[in-house]
Amino acid sequence: MSTMKTTRDVKGVGLSIPRPDGPEKVTGRVQYVADIKPRGMLHAKLLRSPHAHARIVRIDTSHARALPGVRAVITAADIPQLKKKAPTRAHAVLAIDRVVFVGQPVVAVAADELAIAEEALDLITVEYQVLPAAVDPLASMQPGAPPVAEAGTEADTSEALAHSAVALAKSDTGPTKAVNVSQQARVQRGDVAKGLAESDLVIENTYRVPMVHQGYLEPHAVLAEWDTNGLLTLWASTQGSFNTRSEVADVLEIPENTIKVIPVECGGGFGGKIRALCEPITAVLARVTKRPVRYVMTRREELEAGMPAPQVIIRLKTGVKKDGTLMALEADTVLDSGSFSGTVLAVSAVFLGSMYKWPNFDIRGSEVLTHKPSVAAYRAPAAPQTIFAIESQMEQIARALHLDPVAFRQRHLISEGDPMVNNQPWQSNGATEVLKRIAEHPMWKSRAEWVKGNGGHGSNGAKRRGVGMAIGGWLGGLQPTGATVRLNPDGSVSVLTGQVDIAGTNIALAQIAASAYGIDVDKVRITTGDTDTAPVTGLSAGSKTVYTVGAAVLEAAQDARRQTLEIAAAEMEASVHDLEIENGKVVVRGVPDRSITLAQIGKKGNLYMSKVQPVLGVSRPAFSKQAPGFAAQLARVEVDTETGEVTLRDFVVVQDVGRAINPLAVEGQMQGGSVQSLGMALTEGLQFDPDTGRLMNPSLLDYRKLTAADLPNIETIIVEVPSPAGPFGARGVGEPPIIPAPAAIANAIQDATGVRITELPVSPERIALGVLAQK
Amino acid sequence: MAKQILSSTINGEAVEVLVQPYETLLDALRETLGLTGPKEGCGTGDCGACTVHLDGKPVASCLMLAVQARGRSVTTIEGLSDNGVLHPLQDAFVRHGVPQCGFCIPGVLMAAAALLAEHPKPSEEEIRYGIAGNLCRCTGYTKMITAISEAAQAAAPRSA
Amino acid sequence: MRRFEVALPESLDECLRLLADRGPESKLLAGGTDLLPQMKNGVTTPKHVIDLSGVAQVHVLESDAKTGLRIGSAVPARQVELDARVRDGYAAIADAAALIGSVQVRNLASVGGNLCNAAPSADMAPPLLALEAQAVIAGPKGERRVPLSDFFTGVRKTVLAPDELLVEIVTPPPGPRSGGSYIRHTPRRELDIAVVGVASQVTLSNGVCAKARIALAAVATTPIRATAAEAALEGKALTPELIDRAADLAVQSATPISDQRGSADFRRHLVRVLTRRTLTTALARAGA
Repeated sequence: MSTMKTTRDVKGVGLSIPRPDGPEKVTGRVQYVADIKPRGMLHAKLLRSPHAHARIVRIDTSHARALPGVRAVITAADIPQLKKKAPTRAHAVLAIDRVVFVGQPVVAVAADELAIAEEALDLITVEYQVLPAAVDPLASMQPGAPPVAEAGTEADTSEALAHSAVALAKSDTGPTKAVNVSQQARVQRGDVAKGLAESDLVIENTYRVPMVHQGYLEPHAVLAEWDTNGLLTLWASTQGSFNTRSEVADVLEIPENTIKVIPVECGGGFGGKIRALCEPITAVLARVTKRPVRYVMTRREELEAGMPAPQVIIRLKTGVKKDGTLMALEADTVLDSGSFSGTVLAVSAVFLGSMYKWPNFDIRGSEVLTHKPSVAAYRAPAAPQTIFAIESQMEQIARALHLDPVAFRQRHLISEGDPMVNNQPWQSNGATEVLKRIAEHPMWKSRAEWVKGNGGHGSNGAKRRGVGMAIGGWLGGLQPTGATVRLNPDGSVSVLTGQVDIAGTNIALAQIAASAYGIDVDKVRITTGDTDTAPVTGLSAGSKTVYTVGAAVLEAAQDARRQTLEIAAAEMEASVHDLEIENGKVVVRGVPDRSITLAQIGKKGNLYMSKVQPVLGVSRPAFSKQAPGFAAQLARVEVDTETGEVTLRDFVVVQDVGRAINPLAVEGQMQGGSVQSLGMALTEGLQFDPDTGRLMNPSLLDYRKLTAADLPNIETIIVEVPSPAGPFGARGVGEPPIIPAPAAIANAIQDATGVRITELPVSPERIALGVLAQK
Repeated sequence: MAKQILSSTINGEAVEVLVQPYETLLDALRETLGLTGPKEGCGTGDCGACTVHLDGKPVASCLMLAVQARGRSVTTIEGLSDNGVLHPLQDAFVRHGVPQCGFCIPGVLMAAAALLAEHPKPSEEEIRYGIAGNLCRCTGYTKMITAISEAAQAAAPRSA
Repeated sequence: MRRFEVALPESLDECLRLLADRGPESKLLAGGTDLLPQMKNGVTTPKHVIDLSGVAQVHVLESDAKTGLRIGSAVPARQVELDARVRDGYAAIADAAALIGSVQVRNLASVGGNLCNAAPSADMAPPLLALEAQAVIAGPKGERRVPLSDFFTGVRKTVLAPDELLVEIVTPPPGPRSGGSYIRHTPRRELDIAVVGVASQVTLSNGVCAKARIALAAVATTPIRATAAEAALEGKALTPELIDRAADLAVQSATPISDQRGSADFRRHLVRVLTRRTLTTALARAGA
């Protein structure tokens, strides 16, 4: 596709154009779900389980029903479609007879006011028989652990398919051992025991990353209303309106075409708003009350009962020769999925063993269920945690052998064609180029001097400086999609997709359409349709919007261009091959006075009694080639060795984006992803009480996200190694930047203090006590 | 439970509305007055999405009761632009491609506007601390700092 | 939040009458930065909320050479943080006020509220304790004064009866050649709660330390004074070695717990580090 001729000299691909919805956003005019309030709307609240694992003995809702202003109180008994063996979290709309995590919804209320709904919850009595809970994933893997899933529930691998698009051969999965181990995988090559035996240096560490929340500022929100024909409309904060429609249809057992999902402006998703969560119960409340019902999660509910990223524990053992030759890698990965299966287990295996050329490896992965909220994707699911392990390990090897950390990596880094752990070849990628750019960065080259320079702040020279880097990548998602491109009677162009615009992709799509059609981007208008009006579209996730929807828009725009030129050729009695689109006109090359305006063509396709067809470009592509994207990050830190406080002084992200359709938007993605990565590294983690399974930090005071005062400017360097199949060579951009920072930070801290942190977040306590332990 | 009359100045206009005693200022602005610019991101004063000006000072409106605004002046994001003309901060945010999902933006702009009123030529550190009460998950803050700094320069009086 | 009634008194007397009527079922509202989150979480569910916005007496911020500094209980932290009289004469108080929440929270959060909420980590407590402040309390029987060191009785507990109200905090002038500092440790720069907070105030005379006061937050059930450390400093020249010794003694006064914000070991370690640092800064400010 990138070899198709495109029109030069139009304002399109490659320009840094601000998103067109900027003015609406800076004036507060953009509407999110919680801003929409139809007449007669009711407010929903859910009564949630206080126990991680319990049997529901009895529910008494009589007093709640009697409270004036309460319009409905619903339990599972009121929803006959609910199945005991809920295949996914979304299917567990309300608990039937057992709760499996603190925060699981048990009763739903709809009332005139939110305050009344809250009071109604107080009036509901639920009698529980508390059961032993499996909170710690390693304990939960043991035979005899309290069971999480209903016996016989199938593991859900839909998230894995949606996200990683990584195939592990069927023979790689073994039978599950213990009741809570829901997925297993193993990849092997060569002879690990022999490789380790022949190694001069063997390093073994266990890396731990807690569950983290995606951290979107806008909590989950949905507004549901049924019309008198039994058609349901959902205004949803979602990353995929078609996915939401399918899930709700499946859960409520109604046909998909009786549901319209309108994707309202989404205040952040990052993977947490892909799966249905609140939509089914809100729809039920709306059906029962025959009123519009709105449910907005509180921040506390989001943290306690959202769908976080899994806890990851990786035992990693590597063997190398003293000259740095890689010998063997052995790993056990445990992904704690919470109460329902949904991790992308394969990603962990792939990245542990596929970043560098290990001749021998044995990587085992297990997904385990625990009595905690179940997980969903979070921007490059399982990758940051996995790269934290392998990039920390590579750094330690380099340091132990007194090798330059970047040179060591460059020597062993994979290239296009090298086999991944599943023996599929790496697609073309920019990993080498990205690593090279970090190596050339002045902050990397001058690191020894910088570390010695040592600030001089601090009352007693307790500060130490360090520099660290890491590299990681994402394979890039694929999903079939569609787009239409229409020429309007005034010569402007309208593009329709179903793509939820979270990352500013709409302007990039407009630029692609502009460059492909032959018109300036300010004449192109992109619309995101709902599930009734738009072509079926995939998720705004997986770093695939520009790659797939962009390709669809490109194809549809080219189709529209072809149609336009054919009409013009007929009108002007010229050959299509002699025509060009310039300045809003179709002209005969070399004959400037023979032309027809796009507006004329557009009008002809719309005029009463006209015989000219309207221009409507259509595409419906599917994809088979992924386009991996790599990012490397460099961190310069100052550590107060007495308090363990880490100050991030400088941060650089280098990323291969294939082709930057809109550099301004690409930088924004790189910076945003970097800060999420830094949050995982420095301050974030959901802390569950090991006995009760209760979340100990259910507020943003104690679930700490980084503020502007914690950060320096994030320097961005865009690298372009074009992808063979992406529109104009583009690759997906969203996920790579969240991957390397935890390793880069841990490496910088080791450089500064000698302390190696293997558990995230890198808390001041761990550093201070680590420094003390060295003394 | 009787509603209370709230007499206040909202975005420069004298306003008199009925509010519930238990209604927060944020809820009254959004639900009763239809000013949905300020957002609820957490409800506990930890995210800044609800930032409005109270007598010119930035406050977390989710932590105030509506009745506490009686006799005082409140400005929301809807009151930042002047007759449809964007404030230099809003204009700079648009040109620098700052808003992504947009949810934090009204709060950030109100915090930044208050900062500039107090520190017309803020240093980078002052800007960072000025918006440290506003969490953003999409942007990484870098472009916000650049935009605020530029808007401050643009608004600064020309030297003689 | 659940529903409740609100009262809008316009005087201290009116306020006291309301408390006398409904004390146990009511809560006083100043900045709301502790109360509203607690009500939203269901930790407290008062039927009546008494808004102090209209009560002039709790909004004073005055300073004079004789009485010292008077901070009305509803004065926002931001006002205290920026006040030149506080920054010049009572620096440790300004240090602490500047650290509460974010600017959006500090424009609401009251000094009095921070004390009455009585969290062990209350940032305003250590500097006020180190400066030997007094709580001025109004009740049905009139006014009483309680030294702040007697004000806290347990986790989230104070000496206030349900029908009483903290009116203001009075801090006597520390005198010439006196300096103070408050430092706390938090994982983030803003929007955080102290893992450990230490305030030190030293007064010099004839080259030696005439008076030393050290107060700690988040290492006991209430904010406390490190009296053993204080005693070790008084009457002596404040050398780095002596400061280190005092820091060690301060650790002994602390009885920290391990919770999700930090372990007891780490807290003890921080007490040592922050005591040393605040004493060093206080000394520098005293000399200046």
